[in-house]
Amino acid sequence: MTIGGFISKNALRNKRRAALSIMSVAVSLFLFVTLLVLMREFTLPPEDVGSSLRIAVRNKVSIAVTLPARQLQRLEKIKGVVAVTPFTYFGGKYRGDDFTTFAQFAVDPAQFTNVFVDVKSSPGQIEAWMKDRTSCLVGKQTMDQYKLKIGDRMKLSGTFYPCDLDMKIVGQYAGTLDDRSVFFHHKFLEESLDGYDNVGAWWVRAASAEEAPFVIDAINKAFANSSAEVRAETERAFQMSFVSMWGNIKILIGSIATVVVFTLLLVAVSTMSMAIRERFRELAVLKALGFRRREIFAFILAESFGLAMVGALVGAGGAWLFFQNIDITKISNGLFINFEVTPKIMGTAFLVASVLGVVAAIAPAISVARTSVVDGLKTLD
Amino acid sequence: MALPLKYNVRNVFVRWRATIATVFGIALVVAVFVLVQSLAIGLEQSSANTGDSRNVMVVRKGSTAESSSIVSREHFKSLQYFEEILRNDKGQPMASADMLVLINLPRRPPNEGEANVLLRGVSPVGPELRSQVTLVAGRWFTPGKREVVVSKRLAARFANFNVGERFKTGPEWLTVVGWFDGAKSAFDSECWMDVDECRAIFDRESYSSLLLRPKDEASKVKLIQRIENEKRLQLLAFVEDEYYSKQTMTATPIKWLGGFLATAMSIGAVFAAMNTMYASVGARTREIGTLRVLGYRRRTIVLSFLIEGALLALIGGILGCLLSLPLNGYATGTIGFETFSETVFEFTITPALCLKGLLFSLAVGILGTLLPALRASRLPVIAALKSI
Repeated sequence: MTIGGFISKNALRNKRRAALSIMSVAVSLFLFVTLLVLMREFTLPPEDVGSSLRIAVRNKVSIAVTLPARQLQRLEKIKGVVAVTPFTYFGGKYRGDDFTTFAQFAVDPAQFTNVFVDVKSSPGQIEAWMKDRTSCLVGKQTMDQYKLKIGDRMKLSGTFYPCDLDMKIVGQYAGTLDDRSVFFHHKFLEESLDGYDNVGAWWVRAASAEEAPFVIDAINKAFANSSAEVRAETERAFQMSFVSMWGNIKILIGSIATVVVFTLLLVAVSTMSMAIRERFRELAVLKALGFRRREIFAFILAESFGLAMVGALVGAGGAWLFFQNIDITKISNGLFINFEVTPKIMGTAFLVASVLGVVAAIAPAISVARTSVVDGLKTLD
Repeated sequence: MALPLKYNVRNVFVRWRATIATVFGIALVVAVFVLVQSLAIGLEQSSANTGDSRNVMVVRKGSTAESSSIVSREHFKSLQYFEEILRNDKGQPMASADMLVLINLPRRPPNEGEANVLLRGVSPVGPELRSQVTLVAGRWFTPGKREVVVSKRLAARFANFNVGERFKTGPEWLTVVGWFDGAKSAFDSECWMDVDECRAIFDRESYSSLLLRPKDEASKVKLIQRIENEKRLQLLAFVEDEYYSKQTMTATPIKWLGGFLATAMSIGAVFAAMNTMYASVGARTREIGTLRVLGYRRRTIVLSFLIEGALLALIGGILGCLLSLPLNGYATGTIGFETFSETVFEFTITPALCLKGLLFSLAVGILGTLLPALRASRLPVIAALKSI
């Protein structure tokens, strides 16, 4: 029998225990991976090609405070600005749902595709949208979710704004990270409110990524000490600013992940000790045959490491397969978008598993090493 | 014939070395379950603690939250003189016009980043209408002097929120002149200042909502009806505490997280418990054989192992609850989905929650013991006796 064969025979001699150990490691690592993915989702919003070029301009007080529409002329004149559109979050309710799964924004259709370059739509649809002031462009995911088709009505009842909107769907778009939003004419919102001269925010596209910092600086300065000071930042920085708002939730998830790993360690160590205790006598025989401590330690280590690795393969690999094949956006009602198991997360999970395998082998190995052959042979249990 | 309980109890303690990891494992699972659920309870209690059943809140029809509501000054002027409304000692109507605005402020170092804080402008009688809010440091604000009073809980989380310090929002510097305590209510997540000053700073024509105190129960009903019936107003009136008790949107995802964690971790714990109990059965083969010879029946053996597993898990459960208890009352915060601002709440561990945790651990113990117990009961007597 080869050494490898000996180790695997040993590991699987009690198949039930091996399976249970592997499963408990696997379940814990599945959870661990899920928590890491969750944490990443909270701390790293998705990113796409255009987001380094796009600049978000909001009121310095907070995102909930509006900006005067007259700022547009000033913004357009700033060097390095290619396109500007108002970007007003309408926050309407759809079909009386308590929680509307898609956001709605009032924008300037003429500038929209210049700012959001990744938006893809069938030919003619964007043009049709530009022409009809009471029409809207709807994300593919929302179209699918509510089984809408071009020509249907999109009726929204306002929550922030005291008006209801009834619009015709003339186009569908895809190609962005989150194809759920509804875009409509800012002019239509202004009319529905009997003349409204504010915007929620401005979305600006800079000529190049290199120029973006200068554009941001110029925008911030342009409105400094005015009645509506602004905060301009890259779209990325804007998204990241929400991360800090999650507050202690991040710490909470981090601590839970730690507890999970610790529990895992505890269980693995105890299982390994159990497995070794059962064959104390055999190990004593091995010693009597002339195997050294170091070799016996290697046997135990290889067995525990192997079990941990199989557990990691099942747990972390399972998590990877699972999250790859579910539509997290749909399940979580849009709270999560990516839920990607990155190579780094997989690496962390396997690292935890290997540390686990090694640590779990140490205690039993020490007790075997300490016991004399005679005592070992005497053991009954 | 029942086995004496003592047998199982002593078994748990005799083999403590083998079982200690399982007990600790279950303890940690229960602790995580209790802590995550205690967050959801804390959030819900903070909403439930808020508001006074004697007050009537008025918002615009169609707005889902107070912060997205608009009530014009004209409406406030006419509503506050309705005869149903109580007057205070000075003869002023007990009616407050409120204005809510979200302001983005830096967190208190060493924490980085910024978060939204809910700033509420209130009329002079505003604090009087909310008896659960008490001043704990400094003084109340003086209208017109750019002064704010902040919640003590928020002060621990944001920079420049000490009494005497000032912070900038919009074009203005606001000075913190006092701290209030909201008695674990949603007001713990707010800053207050004078409403008309607030309107001036943020350039708003209208208020967000009104808070009215009717004379008595009968006039409360009448007032709500009267506001509903005046179609011209387009306003919605309801009892204040009813509004807050419905604000549970933030707690829901936390409950999900808790449920998911509990399920996943408990599956792992069941596997671990099974491992321990199988080993325990294996080690006691002879003992079980002896019991059978003595005349104990199979189902007695199953029962006795189940009791042992349950006991083991229960010890873990109790330990888990004890582990989580030190965090009870610890204040924490995250973004509230209703207000879109920093919401402060406490880990709230209730006896009912602990009981749930214990039941949960029992379930893990019994599920983990069931198969090993059945195996124990099926061991052939002779083989069991022969085994060493």
